[in-house]
Amino acid sequence: MILILLLSISAVASALIPTMRKRVLVELTHAAASVISLVVGGLVIWRLWLTQSAISWHLLRADSLSAFMIAIVTFVGAIAAIYAIGYIRLEFDESHFSRVRLFYALFQLFIFTMLLAVTTDNLGVMWVAIEGTTLATVFLVNLHENHTGLEAAYKYLIISSVGIALAFLGTVLMYYAAADQVGEIGLSWTSLIAMATRLDATIVKLAFVFILIGYGTKAGLAPMHTWLPDAHSEAPAPISALMSGVLLNVGLYALMRFKAVVDITAGAAFSSAWLMRFGLLSLGLAAAFLMSQRNYKRMLAYSSVEHTGIVALGLGFGGYWGMLGALLHMVNHALAKSMLFILSGSILLKYRTTEIRAVRGLLKAAPWTGAAFLCGILSLVGLPPFGPFISEFLIFRAGFAAHSTEYAVIGLSLVVLVFAGMLSSVNAMLYGTPEERIHCGDPLRWSIAPLAFNIILLVGFGLTLPSGVREFFSGVLRVMGVSL
Amino acid sequence: MPFAKIANLLSFLFLLTSFLLIIRNSLTGQVRMFAIQSGLLAMLAAVVAHFGGSAELFVIAIVFAVIKVILIPSILTRAVNRIGIQRAVRPYLGTSVTLGICALLVVIAFYTMAPLAAANRLPTGDGIPLAFAGVLIGLFTTVNRRRALTQILGFLMLENSIFMIALLATYGVPLIVEIGVFLDVLVAVLILEIFVYRIKENFDSIDVKQMGALKG
Repeated sequence: MILILLLSISAVASALIPTMRKRVLVELTHAAASVISLVVGGLVIWRLWLTQSAISWHLLRADSLSAFMIAIVTFVGAIAAIYAIGYIRLEFDESHFSRVRLFYALFQLFIFTMLLAVTTDNLGVMWVAIEGTTLATVFLVNLHENHTGLEAAYKYLIISSVGIALAFLGTVLMYYAAADQVGEIGLSWTSLIAMATRLDATIVKLAFVFILIGYGTKAGLAPMHTWLPDAHSEAPAPISALMSGVLLNVGLYALMRFKAVVDITAGAAFSSAWLMRFGLLSLGLAAAFLMSQRNYKRMLAYSSVEHTGIVALGLGFGGYWGMLGALLHMVNHALAKSMLFILSGSILLKYRTTEIRAVRGLLKAAPWTGAAFLCGILSLVGLPPFGPFISEFLIFRAGFAAHSTEYAVIGLSLVVLVFAGMLSSVNAMLYGTPEERIHCGDPLRWSIAPLAFNIILLVGFGLTLPSGVREFFSGVLRVMGVSL
Repeated sequence: MPFAKIANLLSFLFLLTSFLLIIRNSLTGQVRMFAIQSGLLAMLAAVVAHFGGSAELFVIAIVFAVIKVILIPSILTRAVNRIGIQRAVRPYLGTSVTLGICALLVVIAFYTMAPLAAANRLPTGDGIPLAFAGVLIGLFTTVNRRRALTQILGFLMLENSIFMIALLATYGVPLIVEIGVFLDVLVAVLILEIFVYRIKENFDSIDVKQMGALKG
C-alpha cells in the first residue's frame, strides 16, 4: 500500500496542477508533492531496510534494487523541483501562465513514470512506464519553442521511440522463452528469475541483445546516444538535471533487471561482453566530442554519455566489486550531473549564452555558483576527495581483476583524455575577468542552496562507505545475484 | 483452411504490404497501405484468437483495429492534407537500391530467427522470420526517409511487426501490456503529428534534412 501512496503523490499533483488558476498555488503543490515524495520514498526504503524483504502489492513490487532507484529519483527530483520554481519564475512571466502550468504538470508526470518504472514487478508495465517518460518529457525539451528546441525534441521522440520499440521486442522474446516452458506466466520479473535456469539460452540471448539496444538508447549508450546531447542541452535546466541524473539511470535499471535473468540462464560472460563493448564505445565517442566542445550544456550532456559508458563497463566487468562500483557510480553521477545542470541554468541566466568562450570569470561574477560548478566538474573528471574517484577506481580495478585488461587500459586512458579536455574548457569559464555588462552576484542564490546536500554526499562517498550503507549496497547486489 | 496455413498466408501478405509501402510515391498512398497492413494484422489477431479460444485476444484485435486501422491513419491523413498533398520526396537511397537492401534484410531475418522458429511448437511459428523481416525493414525505412511523416510511417511499420512477433510467438502478451503499448503508440503519433506541423511552420518544409543546427 505504501507503494501506492508513493506513486499517487506525483500522479495526483500532475492531475491537479492543470486545474489551478493561481501561479502560487501551482508552485506550492509542485514543491509539496516533491518534498512529500522524498519523505515517503525514504519511508519505503526504511521499511525495506527493517524487514529485509520485498514489498509486493499486485503489479507493484519493491526490493533493494528498487529502493536504490527510489532514493535517486526522489532525491534528485526534490532538488530539481525546488530549483525549478526560481528558474521558471525568471524564464516565464505571468503572460506565459499556461506554459508554466504545463511545465509543472509534466514535471510531476515525469517523476511519476520513473517511480512506476522502478516499483513494478511486471516487465510490460515497466516498459509502458519508460515509454511514458519519453512522452512526458518531449514537450519539456521544446519548452522554449524555438528552432533548435524543435529539432532536439523531434529527434528525441523518434529515436527513443524506435529504441523503446526494440526493447519491447526483447521483452516479447523473453516472455516467449518463459511461456514456452510453463505456459502462461504474465511478465513477472520474480517468476522469470525463478525459472531462469530452465529457459532456452538462445532465445534469452537474442532477447537480451534487443533489450540492450532498446533500453541502451534510453540510457544513452553509444551509438544510440545521438538524441542525448541535443535533448539534454535544449531542455530547461531542471529538466536536464533530471534527464541526465535520473532518467539515464532508469534505462540502466531496466538493463540490470534483464541482466540478472540472462546471467542465470546463459552465464554472466554473455551480457558482460556486450556491456563492455557498448560501454567502451560510449566512453570513446564521448571523449572525442568532449575534447573540443564549445557549448557547456552539450559538454555536460556528452559527459553523461561518458559516464553511462563507465557504468556499463562496471556492469560488464562484473563480480562484487565491479558491480558495487557501477552502483556507486550511478549515484555519484546522479549527484554531480544534476548539480551541474542546475548550475548551468544559473550560468545561462547570468550570461545569456551557452557558449563556453563567452563565459568568463564565473568565480568572480557568481562566487557560489562558480565554486559549486568547480566541485561538480572535479567530481566528474574523477578527482579525490569526491565519490566518482572511488567508484571509477573500483570499476577499473574490477576490470583488471576480471582479466579484461585491454578494456580497462583503454577505458582508463580515455578517462584521462576527458580529464584534460574538460578541465581546459572549464578553466576558461571559471577564471579571468567577467565582461563589464555582467553584474556581480549569484542568480537564484536560495534555489541552489540545497545543492549543498549534493556536495556533502559526493564528498561523503569519496571519503568513506559506512558499514550500514555498504550493507545496503550488498542487498542491492544480492537482488542482481551477486555476492562477495 | 487449417490454422497454420491461414496464419502463414496473412504473415506473407503482411510482408508484401511492407514492400508496397516502401515503393509507394504518394503520402496518402503510403498511409492507406499502412491501414491495409494494420487491417491484415487485426485479422491475424482475430484468427489466432478464434483458434486459440482466447477472448482476451479478441479484445486486443478490436482495440488494435480501432487504433491502427481507423484512428492513426485518419490522424496521418489529416496531417497530409493540412501540409498539402505532396509526393514523398526521394529517400536517401533510390527505389531499386532500397528494394535490394530490403530483400537482403529478409534473408538476414530468416537467418537470425531460424533457431527461434525451429524451437517454436506453435502452429504460427513459420511466420516469425517474416515478421522479423518487417522489423528490420521498418527500422531501415525510418533511417532512410527524409520526411518527418514518412519516418513516422517507418516507425509504425516497426511497431506493427513487433506486435506481429508477439502474436505469432506467444499468442499475444497479456492484455494490460498490449493496451498500454497501444496507448503509448497512439500518444506518440499524436505528439509526432504536432511536430510535423511545427516543423512545417518553422522550416517551411517537413524535410528533416534541413534540421542540422545541433551538431558536435
